[in-house]
Amino acid sequence: MYRALLFSLLLPVIFLTGCSNTGTVFKDRFFAFGTLIEVSIYGVDPALATRASAQIEQDFLTMHSNWHAWQPGALSTTNEQLTTMQPFTPDPSVLPLLQEAGRLSQLSNGLFNPAIGNLIALWGFHDNALPAGTLPDTAAITTLVEQAPDANDVTLTGTQLVNHNPAVSYDLGAFAKGYAIDRAIERLREFGIQNAIINAGGDLRAIGQHGDRPWRIGIRHPRQNTILASLEIDGDTSVFTSGDYERFFEVDGKRYHHIIDPRSGYPADKTTSVTVIHDNAATADAATTALFVAGPDDWVEIARNMHIGLVMLISADDIIYMSPAMQSRIRIEQDTAVEIRLSEPLS
Amino acid sequence: MTRADRILIILVVCALPFLYARMWTGNTSAAYIQIQAGNNKPVTEELSADRTLHIHGPLGDSIIAVSHGRARFVSSPCRGQVCVQTGWLQTTGDLAACLPNRISLALLGQHPRFDTINF
Repeated sequence: MYRALLFSLLLPVIFLTGCSNTGTVFKDRFFAFGTLIEVSIYGVDPALATRASAQIEQDFLTMHSNWHAWQPGALSTTNEQLTTMQPFTPDPSVLPLLQEAGRLSQLSNGLFNPAIGNLIALWGFHDNALPAGTLPDTAAITTLVEQAPDANDVTLTGTQLVNHNPAVSYDLGAFAKGYAIDRAIERLREFGIQNAIINAGGDLRAIGQHGDRPWRIGIRHPRQNTILASLEIDGDTSVFTSGDYERFFEVDGKRYHHIIDPRSGYPADKTTSVTVIHDNAATADAATTALFVAGPDDWVEIARNMHIGLVMLISADDIIYMSPAMQSRIRIEQDTAVEIRLSEPLS
Repeated sequence: MTRADRILIILVVCALPFLYARMWTGNTSAAYIQIQAGNNKPVTEELSADRTLHIHGPLGDSIIAVSHGRARFVSSPCRGQVCVQTGWLQTTGDLAACLPNRISLALLGQHPRFDTINF
């Protein structure tokens, strides 16, 4: 009997120690793509993880060079060629990117608009350094809005592009990072790595899991240095957030941030942040921008158009709007009461 | 029951709360600060001693305070000051970066509550 008692006491000890997660995670961080990239890889030989991470760093640097709209490279060359209004064949590194961005722009009713580069530059958000803090000329904003540059203004025949709107200038800042993360995950799989996270400046895609448990992801509060919500990932999931706190300047106490509403030419002002969970990082990236611009009134319609099922939007008046699927997927970590308004199911 | 059995039972009973705290609730307090300047190899130091660090980046020096097991950017020669506004990092896995000056801070420890943070 005593032995049975001893055995019953030992069981939880065995259980507790047996279930601990002491496996090693390889972590690497590097600056690329204008942000800090964090690579987490579980359960492979450190030498392999080091090689894979070094390759991903090189890939990010190459993609940034190719896809930066305002530094010499394939995309800036494409923008120069667009101004000629003549047919041309762009660099192969940018064509699939432009096609996918155009498709997502159409689904978003133009709220994610990769063709408003001139408007982004007018506000000064095209540079890695923040704008000096002066407002752009109102007339210049109005002119660009009236010219209504849109990805559909550029047509593709074979491999040749033709621009039909002189105001079109591509800036893929709301999309290229997601696209790059998708490519990085592909690269990890080429190395045989099945359990990893690529986090680029807070936006991430996770595959596999952390040993015998899922990956644990925290979602930071947009206004506090605390965790607003959390989720677990076991498989392949992207988590993206766009917020008004990422790049902004203030004039007379008013915040002017980098997410420009293409309809008004001014920063969208009804939203603080949008978080999207989706299996594809590029889609999640474009969707967070589109839904941020859509705001509390129109986000449901745009999410449905873009086939996004998991959305959390925090409005400028601190109300959390959420799809039911998102509510089931995440856990709110805040102790203080928060007002949550659920939408109808998105799909 | 032998004397050895009794000692074993006492040890097991005493170990349970410790093991629960250690393995399941996770001790999220950090033990180390990892500083990376540019894409140089990161430097990892203990968090235990209070001190001020001057880390050189392309824009100049970022000043980092380490105090009571926490760390933060005190100042940085960037326009946005997002790094400074991040405030104190205090739990394992916390991360702050001055992107213009290409300097990052991360707190390391054995049991991070989260594997990574979305923001």
